Amino acid sequence: MLNITNLTYQHQNAEDMYAYSMSVKPKEIVAILGQSGSGKSTLLDLIAGFLHAKKGSIKLDENEVIEESVENRPITILFQNHNLFEHLSVQKNILLGFSQTLKSSKSDIEKVRMILKEVGLERYEHTLASSLSGGQQQRVALARVLIRREPILLLDEPFTGLDAETRVEMLDLVKKITIENNLHTIMVTHEIQDCERIADRVYKVQNQKLVEQ
Amino acid sequence: MFKPIRLLLLSLLLSIAAFSSDAKPTLTIYTYDAFAVSWGPGPKIKEAFEKEYNCQVKFVGMSSSIGALRKIQLEGKNTKADILLGLDTNIAQAANKTGLFASHEMNTSNLDLPVAYTDENFLPYDYSYVAFVYDTNKVKNPPLSFEALASMPEDFKIVIQDPRSSTPGLSLLLWVKEIYKEKAGEYWKRLAPHILTITKGWSESYGLFLKGEADMVLSYTTSPAYHIIDENRTNFKSVPFKEGHYGQIEVAAMLKSSKNKDLGKKFLRFLHSDTFANIIPTSNWAYPVVKTKQGLPEAFKTLTQPSKMILLDGKIVETNRKAIINEWLKALER
Amino acid sequence: MLKEVKRLKYSLLPGGFVSLFLLGFAFILFFILFFSQDDASVTELDARVFSLLKFTLYQAFLSTVLSLLVGISLAWSLAHQSTFKGRSLLVALFSSSLVLPTLIVVFGIIAVLGRNGWMNQLSIYLFDHSFGSYLYGLGGILVAHVYLNASFASRSLLHVFESIPKEKYKLAKSLNFTTIERFIYVEWPALRTTLLSIASTIFLLCFTSFAIVLVLGGSPAYNTLEVAIYEAVKLDFDISMALKLALIQLGVTSLLVLFSSNFRTNIGNIKTTALVIPWSEPKHIKRLQIMIIGLFALFFMLPLIAIVFDGIGADFSRIVTEPLFIKSFFTSISLATISSILTVFFAIVLSDAKRNFTLRYRLSDNRFSKLLNMIVAFSGNLYLAIPSLIMGLGFFLMSQKYEAPLVVWSTVALLTANVLMSLPFALAVLAPAMQKTAQRYDKLVFSLNLSTVQRWIYCEYPYLKSSLGYVFALSFCFSLGDLGIIALFGSDDFLTLPWYLYQLMGSYRTSDAAGVALILLAITLSVFILLPRLFRSTVAKHH
Repeated sequence: MLNITNLTYQHQNAEDMYAYSMSVKPKEIVAILGQSGSGKSTLLDLIAGFLHAKKGSIKLDENEVIEESVENRPITILFQNHNLFEHLSVQKNILLGFSQTLKSSKSDIEKVRMILKEVGLERYEHTLASSLSGGQQQRVALARVLIRREPILLLDEPFTGLDAETRVEMLDLVKKITIENNLHTIMVTHEIQDCERIADRVYKVQNQKLVEQ
Repeated sequence: MFKPIRLLLLSLLLSIAAFSSDAKPTLTIYTYDAFAVSWGPGPKIKEAFEKEYNCQVKFVGMSSSIGALRKIQLEGKNTKADILLGLDTNIAQAANKTGLFASHEMNTSNLDLPVAYTDENFLPYDYSYVAFVYDTNKVKNPPLSFEALASMPEDFKIVIQDPRSSTPGLSLLLWVKEIYKEKAGEYWKRLAPHILTITKGWSESYGLFLKGEADMVLSYTTSPAYHIIDENRTNFKSVPFKEGHYGQIEVAAMLKSSKNKDLGKKFLRFLHSDTFANIIPTSNWAYPVVKTKQGLPEAFKTLTQPSKMILLDGKIVETNRKAIINEWLKALER
Repeated sequence: MLKEVKRLKYSLLPGGFVSLFLLGFAFILFFILFFSQDDASVTELDARVFSLLKFTLYQAFLSTVLSLLVGISLAWSLAHQSTFKGRSLLVALFSSSLVLPTLIVVFGIIAVLGRNGWMNQLSIYLFDHSFGSYLYGLGGILVAHVYLNASFASRSLLHVFESIPKEKYKLAKSLNFTTIERFIYVEWPALRTTLLSIASTIFLLCFTSFAIVLVLGGSPAYNTLEVAIYEAVKLDFDISMALKLALIQLGVTSLLVLFSSNFRTNIGNIKTTALVIPWSEPKHIKRLQIMIIGLFALFFMLPLIAIVFDGIGADFSRIVTEPLFIKSFFTSISLATISSILTVFFAIVLSDAKRNFTLRYRLSDNRFSKLLNMIVAFSGNLYLAIPSLIMGLGFFLMSQKYEAPLVVWSTVALLTANVLMSLPFALAVLAPAMQKTAQRYDKLVFSLNLSTVQRWIYCEYPYLKSSLGYVFALSFCFSLGDLGIIALFGSDDFLTLPWYLYQLMGSYRTSDAAGVALILLAITLSVFILLPRLFRSTVAKHH
């Protein structure tokens, strides 16, 4: 269970103070809805650790996570763009997701192959990320999510720009992954359809606070 | 495991031994480039001296005579120079002040010099007169005095040397000072528009002159001899100035820090030998200080022969040198 | 805050150390210079010093103004004539002026514009009129400065022109603007901001110019502070005078650097996309632009051609077997290699440290960040404040104090000067590039917890590859062609190619000099053009 309590943040030159509180159960997808600039991405940045909250707590199963730096938080995050290293192969992109060594062992490569099968991209193991379509790239990013096995999945409007059909495919894949791997998924979006399709609960950012819908 | 290391050390030691057991001592002489260069007096002198005394001679040439002195000062006690050759009597006193030079302990009273010169450390070896050299093919009416020079048309250009680095440059400064006395600064102001450029050393300015960049160059009455004898060209002449000519007596001295004092002394004595005196006229284009049986080449008769040599006493020059140079610098400011 | 620093330590620490090292060096230098003085004659020759300063400022000012005027007209012409054959080659050639050894440039200019140069010979032949010798003195200094700085300025300004959004031109055209109005309302506003930074860089370069003033100055009347320092050490052996001059020079340049650090920007652009400006010029304007380009191209290339021409006839077999040449060749090449490697390393490490202070997800919110950013930037740009001769003077004084073979001191002095000299340019190229990479990938890299090594191999290097190649080539050429500190330390035991060339130029026969000049030019151009090709990266296309 992911519990976020009173995560407080103030932008450098702004006056408003954000205070976020929410919770996510395992296998649950929670959507954060709101206009651009309303502070949705700030929430993700805070949870991921890119920004530092003034006060508050992020507890995963009673373990306080807020003191950890970005690198040590149990999250995987999917961005809007620059999710992959475009000049590297699909295989390398995924390897970098979980291996800190320069030389990859045989077992690591096997793991990658299996994951690619799960997302249906076995044929593209050695393709350059830049040669893939938008949908395929996000699929690779999701493959990386699987291989990392981190309990928290953050999505920052990762499917904007994809055509409707691919978008639906991706959303379903996210749902599948969340359930099969017991993930706590937080998805930021401005599309109501996304929420309707896969979100279990929806929060909205109103007056710098989260309000459940 | 240690064998190769031992072998290496042994060969290293042997090679060091080989280097140091070089039979012949080397005499290092710092001088200006035109002396050391392959077509100058250096090689001939080197050959003669090496043969006579079974040693090695190394000439190290700098871009200017005084530059060689400065280099020795820069190197301090670690200098490799045994002998400094190429200063003149004007700057010798400044060199003496550095305390780096040893006394030559030689008798200089019988030398063939127009003006007597004695110094404890510095030994004269040749002399000439400073004069402006021009190309008779290009300049039909050269100025015959300092006044005439200053009054030449605007586009008449001369190239001279810096008195801080070059002995002929310094000589020109003293020459003008001696003639114009307190009005020297004012004269330089009038001459300034005609100065194309001021080079650090003699070679550079002479090279510019030969390239055609200037109408006249500050050089010596004996420079034309080179063109006559080596190149068979008689179109280069020096201008005889009404006011008389400043002389340059070139000198050499041994360094106190020299590790080859014996050889150095021999070299200084060699400077007064007939062999040396015969080499000088046709390689350094100057008058030797010793009269030889051979005498001077024919061509030397066509050179300008000043009736007397203007030469200021070295000690007086040293006292006033900085002031004279500053006056000159000030006059050249735009 | 401390946690953040710990987290970023691999990025901060190397750069931090290098930065401190550089600043420490500058401090020691200043310390030595200041305390080596014997206060004896404090007011001696103050009038002379004042006039030296006046002239140095005056020629730097004139050079800057002229270079900018020429640079702007050239950039303007090039921007509007974007489709003629050989344009990219010409533009690349202009940017190479940055690395041309100044001595070579002077040599070439004398060959073309000297009293006995091609121009004059031609004019005598055609019109029986000699232009005389305007080249020595202020005229020559200005010509050489404009040659070097206008070409480099035009390169940067061209980039500005090409960055102006095409829409602005379309709008102006629809409003029926004349050429002048278009310049005033569309182009000038874009130029104005970069202009100040380019002007301050050029001013600093001309203020501390050495080789040009040394050779073309001609008389003590045209001495700048740099040359006066050189003469004080080498000619007069008046160290106290040299120190006085050095401290004054340091004071002025430090002020200038501090003042201009606000707006000094990227000057290392290589590639331009030839954006066609949607405006076909009226005929007479077109002719004007072509004429400007043609004239400057001629002005730029003739001296280089003269060097090739004069040098071709030299006796190369003799020149390259000359022991002094061989010595200078090996010294130059090895010094250049070592110093470029050091420069690249320092630049990477400093840029890495620097970007921590300007990136959102690192330390930019910290209140010390701005200050630290400035300090790191300043340490990289030290050279602009401490010209090479002052550094040389400092090293010389140190060599007097601490016994060691002169060769050791000379090597250390030259390496230091070469690295410091290239560092500002290296930073100008690498810092923005590294900032960009981080901006793009920081979030991803942090969230994936990549190790530092992984980050560098997979994330940074592919994108930096071509910049690294360029910076290496730049530093190599700077070092190869420099005539600065070597003027103080040069001797028959320790010499570089430019020093050897300078000696040859000053001697009786100059055909050898022409040969060596050609060799030096050939090496410089080939390194500058070929080396970056080895580092060309396919990744940079992905923007």
